[in-house]
Amino acid sequence: MTAQITVTEGGIPHNTLMIYGIIGSLVGIYLTYLNTVTGTQLFSFFGGLGAIAALVWGSDTIKRLCSYGIGTGVPSAGMLSFGSGVIAMLLATKFGIASPVLALVLGLLIGAILGYIANNILAMKIPVMIQSIAELAAVGALVMIGFTAMATGSFTFSPISAIPVTVLGASASAFSTSLIGGGLIAAIFMLGSIALQHGFNACLGPSEKQDRTLTLTAEVGFLSMLMIAIFSFAFLGMGAFIVSIIISVIGWYYTYSQYITLSKRDAAAWLDSKPIVEAEGH
Amino acid sequence: MVENIVFGIGITALAGALAAVAGAAEDTESDIGSQGDPNSQVQLAPQMGFIHRIFNKAVAGEPPAYGLWCTLGAGLAWAFLAKDVNPVLALILGATIATFVQGVYATSGYLGRTASLAKFGQPVYIDILKSMLSVTMAHAFVAIFTTVAMCYLMNASLGHPFPLPLLGLVWGIALGAAGSATGNPFYGKERQYQNQKFGAGVPISASGNIVRYAEAGQRNSLDNGWFSSKLGGPASGVCFGLIVFLELWRTVLFEHIGAGWGAIIVGLAMILVFVVIDRWVEVYARKNYGPYTSAEEASS
Repeated sequence: MTAQITVTEGGIPHNTLMIYGIIGSLVGIYLTYLNTVTGTQLFSFFGGLGAIAALVWGSDTIKRLCSYGIGTGVPSAGMLSFGSGVIAMLLATKFGIASPVLALVLGLLIGAILGYIANNILAMKIPVMIQSIAELAAVGALVMIGFTAMATGSFTFSPISAIPVTVLGASASAFSTSLIGGGLIAAIFMLGSIALQHGFNACLGPSEKQDRTLTLTAEVGFLSMLMIAIFSFAFLGMGAFIVSIIISVIGWYYTYSQYITLSKRDAAAWLDSKPIVEAEGH
Repeated sequence: MVENIVFGIGITALAGALAAVAGAAEDTESDIGSQGDPNSQVQLAPQMGFIHRIFNKAVAGEPPAYGLWCTLGAGLAWAFLAKDVNPVLALILGATIATFVQGVYATSGYLGRTASLAKFGQPVYIDILKSMLSVTMAHAFVAIFTTVAMCYLMNASLGHPFPLPLLGLVWGIALGAAGSATGNPFYGKERQYQNQKFGAGVPISASGNIVRYAEAGQRNSLDNGWFSSKLGGPASGVCFGLIVFLELWRTVLFEHIGAGWGAIIVGLAMILVFVVIDRWVEVYARKNYGPYTSAEEASS
């Protein structure tokens, strides 16, 4: 038996959030290109901010999709999103400066194909299925490319798959110490996919409110961003590492305190060391 | 050659022991947070009018959640190792930071689910959050640290070709699955419904009517942690320990036979042996404890 999923009305319309999410994430990820322009690594943290914009958009998509009772838990939507998104993201990184836009386009394309298979061939017959899965795959691709850009300072394939090293005076490329070769992409995958589903999964219920759900998504997004900042210890210089940590901690602390305030607002009561308040009739 | 195999068996035994500890800690941790299949009834209870003081963590199922904690712990350790931090220190730092993330997820899950049940009058018991959180985080640290240490042993000592974070993902998901499949039935299907007839399943009329009072006073999740550490935790530990031990044992001993096919054939043979054992246990249990006599009682 699963808990009934009830979706509340109101709040910002989904399409508005989607537009904000797309623009926010693309702008954030492209701002990491300032690294290349200025020749520093200090602007890497913008990738994390872009990823959070995509996560907030995806969180609202999950709420919309899961209101139809897809037959599995909410976390599966996060896994699906990143499972299809990682293909789009890896392919897109081969296209240099166009990578973030291509990650979005390829994500939408792969998601639409998967949605078509689920809806028409497996006959799930859910009205928003194709659009939602397309959006989720795009979110997965954008979050991964954003976090990758934050950890390594770049969103193109060569810097994330091989690191130049000097061995006995000769320069060579080390695959096993790179983001992909070291398997750190698996950690980015899990950090993104659990953060994506947590907002709606944690707040579902009859008294769910959009602002609280999205604040929670932003909170866990900043928490993931903080972890990516620690990953960047292996790839970036000390200055960029400290800037990323400071910005992540500030964002996380602000959204976490906001979330607790909103939970206090919505809770039936906020009790400390009090016994069970019996409902009437029991 | 023989020395290599003896060394490999030693590492295998150590990894199996670490895995047994990890399994026991994982199941106790997740039951204190009512994670996995006990969660739906804890979530349902207030909707049926049963207000409770049980911690409802609601992060994800155990396999994805432990997939994250262990991959994160391994990923952080990998990042520190890449900068030549001492391996022991890197593993401890990775597990500690991953435990911090687990704690933040647990608080936001409890607050979110409880606040969304406001319509049914379920209050947020902030003392529950404060007293359960440290206990789940402590158990989570034990589970994450032992799993990541086990992955490091596989990678560094046995020369496993996967990098550390990828091993963390594989074994984290396996750990969550072992705890979820082995440990949860003790808590989710029996302890929550110890006021119902044993073995009857959960009748629709009893849905959400979970046990809310303890031996003395009101039950909270620390009582469930005590119970899990007695039955479900050790069972999960044996399960996960055996999975890790047998998996490494067959690889270490038989991978040089037939260019790797030896290990695969031994793996298949082990699956067949376990199928026979499982079937025997099932038939034995049905003969001695079953069958369910009336259809009404088993109608969930």
